[in-house]
Amino acid sequence: MRLLIESLGFGIASGAIIALGAVGFTVQFGISNVLNITYGALMTLAAYLGYALLGAGVNVWVAMAVAAAAIAIASALLNRGLIAPLVRRGTGFVGVVIVTVSAGIIIQYCIVAIAGADTISYGQQAGSTVSGAGFVFTTSQLVIIAITVAVMLALHLLLTRTQLGRAMRATSANPVVARSCGIRTDRVTDLAWLITGALCGAAGVALAISTVTFDFTIGPTFLIYMIAAAVLGGIGQPYGAMLGGLVVGVVSQVAAAYTSPAYQDAYAFAVLVLVLMLRPRGLFASGAAARRLTRA
Amino acid sequence: MRTTNLTLPRPRPAGALLLAGALAAALPLAACGGSSGGGTGAPPSGPLNVGVIGPMTGPAAEIGNLMSGACYAAQYSVNQAGGVLGRKISCDLIDDTGDPADAVPNVSKALATTTLSMAVGLESNTAATTIPLVNAAKIPMVSTNGLVAFDTTRDAYFWRMTPSDDQNGAAFVAWAARKGYKRYAVVFQNNIGAQGNEPGVVAAVRKIGGTMTANLTIPGDASSYSSVVARVLAGRPQALILAGDPQTSATFLSEYRQLSGGKVPPVITSTDSITPAYFSAVRKVMGTSYVTHDMFFIGGYVNPSSQAYALYKHAVYSASQVKDPATILGVGVIASIYDGISLMALAMVQAHSTSGPVYNKDIAAIAAGAPGAVTVDSYAAGLAALKAGKKIHYVGVGGPIHFNAFHNSPGNFSASGFTASGNPVLLGVIPGTTVQQLLS
Repeated sequence: MRLLIESLGFGIASGAIIALGAVGFTVQFGISNVLNITYGALMTLAAYLGYALLGAGVNVWVAMAVAAAAIAIASALLNRGLIAPLVRRGTGFVGVVIVTVSAGIIIQYCIVAIAGADTISYGQQAGSTVSGAGFVFTTSQLVIIAITVAVMLALHLLLTRTQLGRAMRATSANPVVARSCGIRTDRVTDLAWLITGALCGAAGVALAISTVTFDFTIGPTFLIYMIAAAVLGGIGQPYGAMLGGLVVGVVSQVAAAYTSPAYQDAYAFAVLVLVLMLRPRGLFASGAAARRLTRA
Repeated sequence: MRTTNLTLPRPRPAGALLLAGALAAALPLAACGGSSGGGTGAPPSGPLNVGVIGPMTGPAAEIGNLMSGACYAAQYSVNQAGGVLGRKISCDLIDDTGDPADAVPNVSKALATTTLSMAVGLESNTAATTIPLVNAAKIPMVSTNGLVAFDTTRDAYFWRMTPSDDQNGAAFVAWAARKGYKRYAVVFQNNIGAQGNEPGVVAAVRKIGGTMTANLTIPGDASSYSSVVARVLAGRPQALILAGDPQTSATFLSEYRQLSGGKVPPVITSTDSITPAYFSAVRKVMGTSYVTHDMFFIGGYVNPSSQAYALYKHAVYSASQVKDPATILGVGVIASIYDGISLMALAMVQAHSTSGPVYNKDIAAIAAGAPGAVTVDSYAAGLAALKAGKKIHYVGVGGPIHFNAFHNSPGNFSASGFTASGNPVLLGVIPGTTVQQLLS
């Protein structure tokens, strides 16, 4: 029983990191209809920026904020300079995906060229251990969980209580109609990429804090879990992505506690397949983004 | 050499074809430089090419760096002695990237376009695919792979002077027992070499009457191993037999330290991990004291007080192409590449031929030493003796070579550690006979 509770806690901690990235990924897709594989490489870039800042003596949470801001700008520039022009010229869904794959590879090449291919380490940033009710967390895990929850609430308020949020939802539902209603969908999309880029950057640093040591493959390796979480929750659904992240994290950690850890990911993806067989558009899906994805 | 607990990335989860494609395309990212084995065929009067088949690029490039370094040292010593039958030798780096999918075309291309006189390297991750290619080309090779399958190989051109992975696993336990530990938690990354160690560990623990508190296989480079650590902690082990790449090991040990209140038992692992990358990754999370006092690296033995070692060391430091001499000297199994090249070069001289099918049999003869043969500890000494018309017996950096019917000579084992500056240091020797008894 103790191991079960502990592993549930570990799963929540892992799931929070997945959710942090997955929420950004799924919102980005929901609003812009771009399956942005560059997201993984931008996470890597954030992790390396965090490393550079730590090396300069910056506090790890400040480093996370700075990296998030930097990746937010990089993400917006990526959309404005590369993705949006392609979409305007009529490049198809798959074509744009391939471009994001290519851009991700280029970013990885640049990281390796500058920082090298060796593993690097944040060192011990976990902080002290906190126990209670059978759960064991580090302070850094608690902070990341808190950040994820706060992001979730902020996104909820943004999407439901602000004019920008309504514009985002309108753009997500039908960009043509949204434009005809006077919504500047390009600007809305830019802002969406800026916000989700920040989440991507924060997730990259959070991941590096968790793994402690990493190399240039950290982001793309982790992206598959975030995509799984986003799809599990219903693509385009921030709440779904959060729940999906928790499911992936908890299932893999509980599986590692009770079966061979070598197969912990297999269990998580088996749950994904099972859920999609029962609910083809994911746990929360009902929106346009999910319909677009199932058509794509 | 059991390369698998080094820096190879874990397999990516399947399912996202585009992502997989991206990752596959991204893997050569680390190919910042390096070279492959292409090139034009060497004219008969040109240098004799020594194919160094290993990961020269990619996440495991550090292994290739070690292999090439040992080859350059041998190249230096052989060429300083005048070369082989009037020809210099030249190390030709053939990049297998540590991935069989790349290894087969790259090695095939090298074999088709380059005249190789001998080959070295051929490490665990790709050995099963590259060794048959080299063997079919009738090129004698000294492999550093640790695959158990090659314990009983019938490949005529295959030679190995390092232990296989199960023997290395048993040596882990032999060292742990010598240190007085009886309760072991075994945690291996899910790669080919680490998994190869496991049967030897299990057999040896049973033999000494020890207790295995956990025996777990973990995926590499996961974001968290907390649940695995909790399981290991529950068994209260006295020692961790841990094999993983730097990232995996650092993440695991960091979480162990976190969840155990700072108390982490000693780690026993392979000399494959005694690299700057491993030192850097683990020291940052565990501290210098732990890394220098509580980490033991087990692998093939070299005798640092022998004359052969002194000559090897001189060659390693003298060869201008060697990038990291201290690390190369610290990884014992790498010396088998130097010994292998010296041995094969002497076999060529004895056979008066650089043709593999002609000189291959002389490799065993020189290693065994005929009655009355002169014992030599370097290529130069062997060459001088052969020129003087004498039979020779080569005893190199790894000590006497006793090839069995399957061309294997595992030898003794060393236990090494890190100094505070990250250089390897020899801590003790585990006799090969002790290890064989644990496996019997």
